[in-house]
Amino acid sequence: MRIGVPHMGNLYIPLKALLERLELDFVIPPANNRRTLSLGVRYSPEGMCIPFKLTLGNLIEAAELGADTLLMPAGSGICRLGYYAKTQEQVLHSLGYDAEIVSVGVSQRKLLGLLEAIKRLSNNASWSKIISAFRFGLAKLNVLDTIERAVQKVRPVERVKGTANKLFAQAVSATEQADDYKSLKRVQTDYLEQLSLAERDESAEPLVVGIIGEFYVLLEPFSNMDVEKELGRLGVEVRRSIFTSGWTKFSLFLNPLGVNEKDRLHKAAMPYLKRDIGGEGWESVGEKVLHAKDYDGLVHLAPFTCMPEIVAQNIMPSTKENIPVLTILCDEQLGKPGMLTRLEAFVDLLKHRRRAKVKV
Amino acid sequence: MVKVGIPRALLYYQYYPMWKTFFGELGAEVVVSPPTTQATLAVGSSRVVADTCLPVKVFCGHVLALVENCDYIFIPALRSVKSKIYNCSKFLGLPDMTRAVIPECPPILDMDIDINKGKRRLYQAIYKLGRPFSWNPFKVRRAALAAWQAHREYKELMINECLTPPQAIARISGAEMPSPNPNQPAIALVGHPYLLYDEMINHRLIHRLEQAGYRTLTPEMLTAEQLETAITRLTGKPYWTYEEEVVGSGGHYLESGVEGAIGVIAFGCGPDSLMMDMVQRQAIRLKTTPFMSLTLEEHSAEAGVVTRLEAFLDMIQRKKRRGAEVCV
Repeated sequence: MRIGVPHMGNLYIPLKALLERLELDFVIPPANNRRTLSLGVRYSPEGMCIPFKLTLGNLIEAAELGADTLLMPAGSGICRLGYYAKTQEQVLHSLGYDAEIVSVGVSQRKLLGLLEAIKRLSNNASWSKIISAFRFGLAKLNVLDTIERAVQKVRPVERVKGTANKLFAQAVSATEQADDYKSLKRVQTDYLEQLSLAERDESAEPLVVGIIGEFYVLLEPFSNMDVEKELGRLGVEVRRSIFTSGWTKFSLFLNPLGVNEKDRLHKAAMPYLKRDIGGEGWESVGEKVLHAKDYDGLVHLAPFTCMPEIVAQNIMPSTKENIPVLTILCDEQLGKPGMLTRLEAFVDLLKHRRRAKVKV
Repeated sequence: MVKVGIPRALLYYQYYPMWKTFFGELGAEVVVSPPTTQATLAVGSSRVVADTCLPVKVFCGHVLALVENCDYIFIPALRSVKSKIYNCSKFLGLPDMTRAVIPECPPILDMDIDINKGKRRLYQAIYKLGRPFSWNPFKVRRAALAAWQAHREYKELMINECLTPPQAIARISGAEMPSPNPNQPAIALVGHPYLLYDEMINHRLIHRLEQAGYRTLTPEMLTAEQLETAITRLTGKPYWTYEEEVVGSGGHYLESGVEGAIGVIAFGCGPDSLMMDMVQRQAIRLKTTPFMSLTLEEHSAEAGVVTRLEAFLDMIQRKKRRGAEVCV
């Protein structure tokens, strides 16, 4: 049995750590690239969203490398995600790969469901081994996200453009290589220090833009054309509330205990959207309402044909709380120059707005 | 008399008799928006973002048609009607979205329908819905029971007499409806009722098939058991509320010996992009029944639909003459 996993941002690093520690045979398909996308597009039903297409491309590439057990997240999350595995398996079979898709139900049984799935896959490894491997994976995830948060702060104000991005790339590969807690800790302190030492423009007061929208396109830079890096290059500080580590912490550990980090967002959205509509639609509306005061603008990312985000997009303009929102729909047709032009225009608008505000 | 508006779109085709009975029993007058026209679609799509799907644009047009002459508009948020099976986001957010894009809308009677939260919550929701019309819970209960009875009769009528929802609604309100001739060759239509029976958006598909000498079979004419067996065969456990209409009826009709099957979907429909794909794959696997999938959108010109339909019917004729293998 050889396990294959799809990509989502840097999630492959903690997954790799987990599978290595369990001594399982696995392949990580190549990072998302043009071939992944074109494979996904060619074999997906017309009208599917980009997360489906890219993960399908990943699974095909993993199958090419000999993977026969493919992990896919699933769950009755109301959006199409719960149906992905069914269709992707049929596509793989029709292409002649005899691979089985194991859908890991993350939304219903939370942590227990995930651990049980790992146990099944690992041929009944002992619980202590599974838990220690899982903890190590989580530790890597936390380090990556901590560094990324610091990178988001440095990007807009660095004197030498590209410093933060370079450091982040190094940090990612250092995290990948770290094989115990001690070296992992060192990676974190090292890179946080280097980032804090990066030469900055102290006088700059960067615009603050929140990135909201659908989970996958937020976290997979290939699908959103590196929108965060580009905003950073334009001198904008990016704030994002969705991080994989945060999601894991809440949805696996704290939500079952009754702590819900999203309650705040839901409460804010209440006057405009009273109910959960699946995906991240409710949260998108909530973030707009909540951050209208403290951010300069919002970039709303959604896959083309994403059902929850279309509803959110329809509701957002009618809120009393006013803040500019730029919606970018991500799919294989999204071109970088077009997106850059829109981002530049948006940033210009925010600058004018801030200047006008200062005058008043 | 209080007037309650019901838009002739989306869930109308499935639940109209039920809703009409409920509000009628509570002493309200039910107003239905007129059938879809080009103008309905145009005003509807001017309100929502471009990516919104065709049926929702049509829905907004129907709400706008009711704005002037109603005291309330009934728009339920139908989340789940079967345990652990959920509906598309657009249905879940429908009342909120309508409120946002049509601010001049009269008060919206919205109710959450979610069977997973238990019967108690459902009863509470029904009572809350009846509250503007009556303070008496027993009266609301009586109305709800009558509505439920009307719904059952409506469904049985469609199954037993092979009627489409518009025909059944006409029959219930007393019009004479000729029963279809069972000896005619049949073409199955697979898809959501709001696509199959809205003559404007599907360019009078059923009428065209009738003119060509075929009778049409639609998902509503199948029993719950038939639909369920077909779903189990194709995808295992259902995931979407409307999986029956698409995967269930598609799976059933492909093996029922009809002359051909047409899958009708709206461009950009999330669930359909996956469900119709399942049906299409099954058609390719079986190679017994010709299958065509027809995607509707607001720009689809009538001539294009007609040409494809003619080609499809020609193919069926040719297949009959030669006994050739099926094209899908």
